[in-house]
Amino acid sequence: MAAYMSMGEAHRRITEYLNRFSDTVSSQDGKSLSRLLSISSSSSSSLQFLADALNTFQDANRIIRQSEKCSQYADILVPVFRALQSYRLRNLVDSYMAFEKAANAFIQEFRNWESAWALEALCVIAYEIRILAERADKELASIGKTPEKLKGAGSFLMKVFGVLAGKGPKRVGALYVTCQLFKIYFKLGTVHLCRSVIRSIETARIFEFEEFPVRDKVTYMYYTGRLEVYNENFPAADHKLSYALTYCSPLKEANIRMILKYLIPVKLSIGILPRNLLLDKYNLTEYNNVVLALKRGDLRLLRHALEEHEDRFLRSGVYLVLEKLELQVYQRLIKKIYIIQKQKDPNKAHQIKLEVIVKALKWFEMDMDVDEVECIVSILIYKNLMKGYFAHKSKVVVLSKQDPFPKLNGKPVTS
Amino acid sequence: MADRRGQRQRHMITRNNSSSSSSFKSHRPSNPNTNAKITRTNKFATVNPDNNDNIDDPQDIPNLVGTCPFMCPVEERARRERLRDLAVFERLHGNPAKTSSTLAVKKFCRTISTNNVQASDVRPVTVLEDTLNYLLNLLKSDCHFEVVHDFIFDRTRSIRQDLTMQNVTSDQAIHMYERMVKFHIISHHRLPNCGSPNQIELHILFIRMKQNSIHIMCFSISVPDNQGESLSQWFRRVPFVIMKSKEMCFARRILRYFRLGNYKQFIYTTEAEASYLQYCIIEPYISEVRALALYCVNYGGYKLQPYPLTHLSNLLMMQESDLESLCIDCGLQTSTDGIGKVLLSTKLTDTCNPKRGYHKYYELVSERLERLSAELSEL
Repeated sequence: MAAYMSMGEAHRRITEYLNRFSDTVSSQDGKSLSRLLSISSSSSSSLQFLADALNTFQDANRIIRQSEKCSQYADILVPVFRALQSYRLRNLVDSYMAFEKAANAFIQEFRNWESAWALEALCVIAYEIRILAERADKELASIGKTPEKLKGAGSFLMKVFGVLAGKGPKRVGALYVTCQLFKIYFKLGTVHLCRSVIRSIETARIFEFEEFPVRDKVTYMYYTGRLEVYNENFPAADHKLSYALTYCSPLKEANIRMILKYLIPVKLSIGILPRNLLLDKYNLTEYNNVVLALKRGDLRLLRHALEEHEDRFLRSGVYLVLEKLELQVYQRLIKKIYIIQKQKDPNKAHQIKLEVIVKALKWFEMDMDVDEVECIVSILIYKNLMKGYFAHKSKVVVLSKQDPFPKLNGKPVTS
Repeated sequence: MADRRGQRQRHMITRNNSSSSSSFKSHRPSNPNTNAKITRTNKFATVNPDNNDNIDDPQDIPNLVGTCPFMCPVEERARRERLRDLAVFERLHGNPAKTSSTLAVKKFCRTISTNNVQASDVRPVTVLEDTLNYLLNLLKSDCHFEVVHDFIFDRTRSIRQDLTMQNVTSDQAIHMYERMVKFHIISHHRLPNCGSPNQIELHILFIRMKQNSIHIMCFSISVPDNQGESLSQWFRRVPFVIMKSKEMCFARRILRYFRLGNYKQFIYTTEAEASYLQYCIIEPYISEVRALALYCVNYGGYKLQPYPLTHLSNLLMMQESDLESLCIDCGLQTSTDGIGKVLLSTKLTDTCNPKRGYHKYYELVSERLERLSAELSEL
């Protein structure tokens, strides 16, 4: 609820904001300008007071027009005020629409400012556009209307990207805008739209990836890494997510957790298991049983682990990746049989009867007949998870004496 | 770079009907622009939501309601008569320049914008349903299937176009989509040599209704093209309740067998559990799985114990003579061992499984599926 404020007080606050605005512009103080535009930031009490003042005074536009210093920025300030007011009154759709107008006007001015002094403010605007659009869509959905503001925000940010995609110093902001776009596309599920902006970043000659701020590079690699996970390009996913992990600040534990959430299935797919300490430290216990199943060769445990966290894995998009680990679980199981046989009789260890595998699977409550076991064995051999051959008539698999269970060594299972 | 090589995806149709369906409400699709785009290579289906055909996003425009009472708008009918642009089925007494309101059916138009369209050119839902009935009845005619297929294919595409333009998402529309999809699946099944000119569109429609949960979903496992969405991405958006539905669980199981290379279960489970429609969709992949089985046996089998074709043909559910042919198709050698024919293990490594659709399809030996095919309900 808006606190009670006198007209005089309201007038004072409004003029104060306008003065600060024109001061930051004339002194090219990007940081201060950013603070004046962070509408959704609830910690900014001064903006809240301003919003209350606007709702009290009701004719701020007149003040803007009358101000010598600020009337030239009316196109920005009038809608910013409107956005603030609406936000305070919880009219989120209204707030977004007004802010988009302000942002458009801001870009026009930004284009004319030669140096990149206002880049931080532009980034704040990009952030606010996304956040306000998300909230506006929530409001639309709650009243039974089609949410479409976030989609519009995406189009707007593409425009902003275009403004930054030039030869000058402003171009280092492009990666930040790209990341905002990623967040929007991921939220909307229109992930295929990432492709064009990725192409711009990675192939345009004006961009030098190393020039971008570390924070943006980490975010970029995180999202592009996730895309590689969806497409099951594990070496590429490993490279990108590992980059993100390496350069992510160790203080940002939540971010590290997010990176690991995707990196772990990738590592598992190339034969690298995380330590339990890691899983515990970052609260990724949903992977505990997956790792255990791989260590034990326990197919039932893997399937159970997948079922237990099915919704979570499906939603993050790693379910299919984890499912494919079954082959490695089979490999591990057969390897264990081999090791046990080796302890009993080293000379005959490399010959494993298919019936023995059937029995072992039965202990794990997996019901497979000899035909299916033979099928699995043949696939393992074909994909180089096992070296040897299987004899159909004798119903036995004969393992190579040398390196019968080749390690993946950082490469995914052959397709 | 996001690179989709190596990602394989599949096509399956599932339908989930909730038991209680009280009122039928028309709802806008919640996210029509996030329809998964799915493609299969050359001879198989390309799935493109109709938005690809240059129709404006229906979300931005208030609902158009068509008023054309005929299967074909009057203006179009007159124009095509003048231009002698009439399909065989539309000609009155075989006259290439004359048609009638009971014969002419609106053609699919690639470049159309809802901004310019007149309500009188668009058929309302009831007329569309009558049109669909008329078209599907043509299948019963004596005409050669290939000929009538092309006509029905184009005209049903126009029906979908009219539905999209009016943004219809009622149960009636869904039922129409289902029938059209069924037609596509079965016609594709019957015309296995459809080349690229006859690209089949399987329309994706993902509609959630707040009260009922009647859905049509095609989820695709195919080699995606540039616009394709990976299966993992698609799974993220499917409501959990659908993921746990009987049809989806079946589809997911088959998918798992396919991805892991478990040829035994892939074929066995398909034969034992697939509905006829599901079988039609899975069918193109059976050849690939069988070929994989042969390569595995060839690569990993003991050369002094060549694999008996009798046993293998049972496993792969095909006639032994067909299996022999498949071995030849795959470039693998067979021989005789005194008891019967066998597959030789020559540890062939140069066998990158060729493009889907390369192998000729040999019928799945299945009484159950034969019975289902005979029982196939009316389109």
